[in-house]
Amino acid sequence: MIRIDGQLVSRGSGGVYNERMVKGYRVWDPYRSKFAALCMLDESVDLADAMKVLYLGAANGTTVSHVADYVDCVYAVEFAPRPLRDLLVVAEKRKNIVPIAGDATRPDRYAPFLEEVDLLYQDVAQPDQAGILIKHLPFLKQGVGIDGGMRAILMLKTRSVDVRRTPDEVFAGTIERLEGAGLSILKSCWLEPYHHDHAAIVCGVGER
Amino acid sequence: MTVYWCGSVDDEGVFVPSRGSPAELLARVESLKTNMQVFRPLTADLIEGSGIFPDRATYIRQLREVTILQVQGVIEAAASGKDAELLQMVRMLDQMDEVINLLSERLVEWYQVTNPAFSQKGRQGSVKRVLPKIRRSRSRPLRGMADEVEGLIAARTSLAADVSRLAAQVIPNTSELVGGLVAARIMARAGGLEKLARMPGSSVQVIGAEAALFSHIRGNSPSPKHGIIFQHRRVHNAPREVRGRVARVLAAKLAIAARIDFYRGEADPGFLSSAQALIDGIAGGGSV
Repeated sequence: MIRIDGQLVSRGSGGVYNERMVKGYRVWDPYRSKFAALCMLDESVDLADAMKVLYLGAANGTTVSHVADYVDCVYAVEFAPRPLRDLLVVAEKRKNIVPIAGDATRPDRYAPFLEEVDLLYQDVAQPDQAGILIKHLPFLKQGVGIDGGMRAILMLKTRSVDVRRTPDEVFAGTIERLEGAGLSILKSCWLEPYHHDHAAIVCGVGER
Repeated sequence: MTVYWCGSVDDEGVFVPSRGSPAELLARVESLKTNMQVFRPLTADLIEGSGIFPDRATYIRQLREVTILQVQGVIEAAASGKDAELLQMVRMLDQMDEVINLLSERLVEWYQVTNPAFSQKGRQGSVKRVLPKIRRSRSRPLRGMADEVEGLIAARTSLAADVSRLAAQVIPNTSELVGGLVAARIMARAGGLEKLARMPGSSVQVIGAEAALFSHIRGNSPSPKHGIIFQHRRVHNAPREVRGRVARVLAAKLAIAARIDFYRGEADPGFLSSAQALIDGIAGGGSV
């Protein structure tokens, strides 16, 4: 990842959402973007030029735009019509974003548009977030991947999973399910102080 | 056989391209039923081996033409629903209420400064009573602002009538049961008519009482009996002992009414008269 004076940045034309520019680079704010927060908390997280990324929960496309600055292409899936409008505007400028309208719980509806990807990134406000990630594992390229292990990143919104359980219980339960599906947990942490009740879980895939 | 947006791979592993305009390719994908149990995604080798894309940039460009069309279709479908405008009107109405309340409070404070003889007691809690007084105030700027608020109140009243009128057209059955305003508010809170039509009656009953509901789910309090539905007279006028029961039965009928509204779009007199009779029976002390 590119850092300037300790700030995370990405290379690309600015003006996507009034982000600040530093020395011609777009500042990637960890308080706005969970991906940026994860990069601030874990220096080993990296995006490679050749990567193809499947991004679930693309929302308004702000984080997507930064990811697209780093990688070969991003398949950006979003469900709600309102944010899709913004995502389209972002995708107009960035030709390596493939915007897709779709419900992440139903990958069969948009599977024909996708190709094998190196990284699965998920940030959706749904109850069954672990289940959604597992459903999308068939889209991951076989093998260990470009940067030696990291294959899937789950941004866990614990409040969307179950309000009756504490965030810690949801966190532990999710990790258990991911491991049960054959994923190895490379790193898991809360995104404090940037985001509350949100956790990041970085997964690798075992030999398949 | 596995089918992709740009072609399919048959059982011998041969790629058969599909050609056509982006709209034709999209229509084909939307008609597909993909079985995720056996699905294998496209690979770089397949794309290259297909022979229809000279390079990767072309592949992405053509794919984008199809998916952008798909996204535009979804956005248009969401905006073209008959309920879309009603939803905006209800939200506007609720926000106007907030604004009018805020501005009225400010006007009264201001009036007290210009007229020290004015007593809080005379206010009687109602801005309507004080506003005519304020509009005769000696302060010209205050009079001007009071006129503006008066104008807002008039606009709000006419918007409320418009909401009722449109609701009677768009959601005739739900409007008939609880009145256009309350029906439109419930629909707006649900996030649209389709969402409301897919909701169980128990959710309709507590829509608008989310704080109380989640407090209850966490185990800290009794369950809420009613949300927005309380604004309807048959709920808030019902005797305390049966209020929860009225709310439950009314909500159950509203859930059915919303489905008729969404899938059929016209009033069903048979359903309405039996639903009204049932609800009135319970409000009057009957039992279910």
